[in-house]
Amino acid sequence: MSLHDPVPAPEDAGIQIRNLTVSYDTDRGRFHALNDVTLDIRPRHITGFIGESGSGKTTLAMAMMNAIHNPGRIDGGSVLLEGAGDVLRLKGEELRRLHGRYFGFVFQASSNSLNPLKRIGAQLMDLGRSHGVTDLRALLREAKTLAERMGMDGDRVLTSYQHELSGGMRQRVGIIFALVLKARVIILDEPTTALDMLSQQAVLEIVRTIHQERGLTTVIITHDMGVVAEMADRVVVLYAGRVVEEGPTQSVLRHPRHPYTRGLIHAIPRITGNLHDVEPLQGTPPDLATIPTIGCVFRERCPIRAPICDTVAPTPTSAHGDGIVTCHGVDQHD
Amino acid sequence: MQLARRIVVRLFGGAIMVLVVAIFTFFLVRLMPGNPVAAEYNTLIMRGMTPVQAADEVRVMYGYIPHEPLIDQYFHYLWQLLHFNLGQSISYEGVSVLHIVLSDAPWTIVLVLLGLITSFILGVTAGVIAAVKRSSGIGNVLTVSGSLLHGIPQFVVALLLAFLFTTLWPIFPFGAPYNASLTAGFNLPFIGSVAYHAILPVSAYAISSYGGWMLTMKSSVISVLGDDFVLAAELRGVKPRIRFGYIARNAILPLFTVFALSLGFMFGGSLFIENIFDYNGLGNLLVTSISNRDYPLMSGAFLFITIAVILSNIVADFLYSVVDPRIRRST
Repeated sequence: MSLHDPVPAPEDAGIQIRNLTVSYDTDRGRFHALNDVTLDIRPRHITGFIGESGSGKTTLAMAMMNAIHNPGRIDGGSVLLEGAGDVLRLKGEELRRLHGRYFGFVFQASSNSLNPLKRIGAQLMDLGRSHGVTDLRALLREAKTLAERMGMDGDRVLTSYQHELSGGMRQRVGIIFALVLKARVIILDEPTTALDMLSQQAVLEIVRTIHQERGLTTVIITHDMGVVAEMADRVVVLYAGRVVEEGPTQSVLRHPRHPYTRGLIHAIPRITGNLHDVEPLQGTPPDLATIPTIGCVFRERCPIRAPICDTVAPTPTSAHGDGIVTCHGVDQHD
Repeated sequence: MQLARRIVVRLFGGAIMVLVVAIFTFFLVRLMPGNPVAAEYNTLIMRGMTPVQAADEVRVMYGYIPHEPLIDQYFHYLWQLLHFNLGQSISYEGVSVLHIVLSDAPWTIVLVLLGLITSFILGVTAGVIAAVKRSSGIGNVLTVSGSLLHGIPQFVVALLLAFLFTTLWPIFPFGAPYNASLTAGFNLPFIGSVAYHAILPVSAYAISSYGGWMLTMKSSVISVLGDDFVLAAELRGVKPRIRFGYIARNAILPLFTVFALSLGFMFGGSLFIENIFDYNGLGNLLVTSISNRDYPLMSGAFLFITIAVILSNIVADFLYSVVDPRIRRST
């Protein structure tokens, strides 16, 4: 390989998250955005994070990269990354090198993730220089190849400014930035939001192809069940900063065990189905300021609420073969 | 080619603006109470001259007759203006206005530019520091210094400096742009003397506009820090030094517009500052010409300041399109 690679990332980049707790300092006090999250992100799998706004999807992804900023704070836990140790213990230069070279983070298409005053090619070179790439021309060639594989004119993209590209093109350029340094873990934040259906499909296909080709560990953050169903090998359902259900996508979507997951799936309208069959999820998305501190956080919206839910927080139990579900009601209503 | 066309269009627009301003200044100047030419005319008549004799005498001295209709005077002025003839000064008898304005203008331009550049560099640097360290002591001190200095009018700063450094502690000279005993030209003592004499007025310009730069830059940096691309660059592991460059260049953009606007403001301020330091520039010239009711000189000085401001606005506009690619292709 022509790229200078000081710390080669291991082929299989799995992540073990243990007891991760993140809180945010606000005017109304300090709230937990993630509460005691324990989770394995499997290498070479596509993992989907799903949940409503405010469920902690993006916070979890940021915490995995140790990129929580003020007013947020990581209160405890560990994120073990194969070949790099506990990410939460890294700081300064070590952490910077990890970002970009090991983790590739792809922003939402609607966000402007590029410097508006510099051409894409110049920013790629900045990225290369930041990570000790000596052969910048090879880096640009690699970027060009990626761009062309994604159906874009490589030369045009590299000499363009951000404002000269469409939303779908920006999203693909974001993916190029995440892949060009051969990162092992790719995290995509809402990769299809703000894109039309055709662009969505194109972006998802590119992600899947490159994921398989490079044996990546991929995380897709989304609130779109369709994206999870289509892309993910495993799905993590988050509610109010807690993992409420986790398991293989097929099993979780076909036989959701947690009432929240069930609610999310039933809330999807189908083109061929009757609109009256769609049941909107009761209540409003969790507000960190008002979620209960004792008992189950979902009980206010839960159709199978029991007395025990008011006093005791449910603990994860085994489900979907090698997954988990966190609910008092799973045994009775299985 | 397209750029050349744009420049021509902008210059043409600028010329029209200059002409409009020339109309205003011509009439405004003559609307002021007190008319030296009419006074002279009246004196001559009281000395026993016939009105015709007096009118001839005045025409010879000042180039126009005071009771001639204003509109005729105006067309006469405009016609002469198109030939780059700004007329003769009334208070400096027989000297052409163009000559006086051109000999005073460089001092003002150099002073204003030096003051502007100094305050820009200081203010922008302080603004970046104040934005990055906004929750610490240094940030607060800088912000307070900016607000405080921004609130003090230029002439107060100038008076303070003049009092402190020429009267209380006479470290710096007062009056005249250089030591008259030196021969003017490109020699070290002369340039040194010019710089030495310029320090106080330049400081007055710089101190009074520093606060504006600092506060604008601070809020601009804070807003850029919240942009997605800054976080994106960090998550891609882009080196802090390169990231700083990204932030600085994006944050400084809005200041270009302010830069052009403040040039005009600074030229206006030269009236007070040059007057206080008794410095021979356009501002001081304008003040003396106003108190002497020297119409041609007043119009000339006004016109020159107008041209300077309009030209610098056009230059700033083109600079903006150089630094911001989003503007570049839109017109």
